[in-house]
Amino acid sequence: MRLAVPVKAIGQRFALPILVLASVTMIVLGKADTLLFERVRTAFADVAAPLLGALSQPVAAFDSVVERAHDVLGLYSENARLREDNARLLQWEQVAQQLGTENARLRELLKLTPDPAVSFVSARVIANSGGSFVRSVLVDAGSRDGVLRGQAAITGEGLVGRITDVGDRAARVLLLTDLNSRVPVALDGSRERAVLAGDNSDRPRLLYLPLRSEVKVGDRIVTSGNGGIFPPGLPVGVVAAIEDGIVRVEPFAELSRLDFLRIVNYGLNGVLPQPVMPRPAKPGRGAAREAP
Amino acid sequence: MRTGTAARRGDWSAAKSVPTATTFLLLIAAVLPFRVPDYATVTPLFVLAAIYYWTIYRPELLPPLAVFVSGLTLDLLTGAPLGVSSLLLLLARTLVLTQRRFFVDRLFPFVWGGFTLLAAAAIAFLWLLGSLLEGAMLDMRAAALQWVLTVACFPAVGYLLMRIQRAFMSAV
Repeated sequence: MRLAVPVKAIGQRFALPILVLASVTMIVLGKADTLLFERVRTAFADVAAPLLGALSQPVAAFDSVVERAHDVLGLYSENARLREDNARLLQWEQVAQQLGTENARLRELLKLTPDPAVSFVSARVIANSGGSFVRSVLVDAGSRDGVLRGQAAITGEGLVGRITDVGDRAARVLLLTDLNSRVPVALDGSRERAVLAGDNSDRPRLLYLPLRSEVKVGDRIVTSGNGGIFPPGLPVGVVAAIEDGIVRVEPFAELSRLDFLRIVNYGLNGVLPQPVMPRPAKPGRGAAREAP
Repeated sequence: MRTGTAARRGDWSAAKSVPTATTFLLLIAAVLPFRVPDYATVTPLFVLAAIYYWTIYRPELLPPLAVFVSGLTLDLLTGAPLGVSSLLLLLARTLVLTQRRFFVDRLFPFVWGGFTLLAAAAIAFLWLLGSLLEGAMLDMRAAALQWVLTVACFPAVGYLLMRIQRAFMSAV
């Protein structure tokens, strides 16, 4: 017992400098080689996923109670608005059906190759990234559900981001707004190409627009399909502001209120390397197939 | 030393792990996906509050290793560069430990004031390190808002920890 005391004292004296040094070393190594800690991260996410998944459910329940109270308050005006929307959408439905048949006929005439079949996995957001460093979320689907690095994550509104790390049962989605996010996009009308670059603010910027671009506030932004990561035509956002030549885009998806995401496999291999060897995709929970 | 009474209670090792356990609980609370607009970018530094509290009142029960591991866990869960939070929290613990005698027997507003300063230093440190690592200026308004929220949350976190300390650790 008496011998243990000095040993313990030495341990206590050197614990702090050693741990500080370890932290600094990890920061430097992680900066030098971004893939170095990826395996650790994904392994940890796998272990933490069940716990976070269980804990995020009461949170979601609480959120839905708050949301419901909010909904009840706005019921009357909401109803009026929905009636209007419905009338307009019924007209659109007619138009869409006409265009759909016309499109099918024209495709037949042109002998266009059909788009590949799309499969998707639904996943729940189980952890946010707190703080100002990163804009990413953890979802509770991984390689066992068929999720692969580089796949697009979308909501009903539009593109959310792409999968960057994949574990067995959890994966990380890099949001459009993250500093490291770059998405090849196009203006919906003019098909002018650009890159949507996140900068950790709520509204990512458009880079590399053509010089004499006629971009204006309110223009719709969709994915361009360049680079083979995302298919062309996914809705991304709308041009919200143009100040001093900086074009900012408001994403369609509400990135701060994500709960369920669809991880979509368009069958594109893309340019992203696959450092974590993907396992053969088993038909997992929530996996579904959809014809284009 | 009151280890005699503690040992008789039979739960002293469990009670001794309360600081570490509460720190980890607050850490998980910080990454849960609350669907509040913009919450994710300005999530209060709950872990910092826990480390401040325990370093003032029971520093020996929250050793550097526990602080290091909690920082590492936070980085792994949030996807931040690995080592950033552990470095921040270790430095915060060291800083608080040197100033501890000014706070340990003081009234709550004084302790809160100390945390205001610590949180400002911590968030400034995070912002600087983040900007350096990313090679671009991070959003300063988000950092400022995070500081305000962190400071505003401290009374609740402090009260919770105090109740826990009184309930479970009266003998340790």
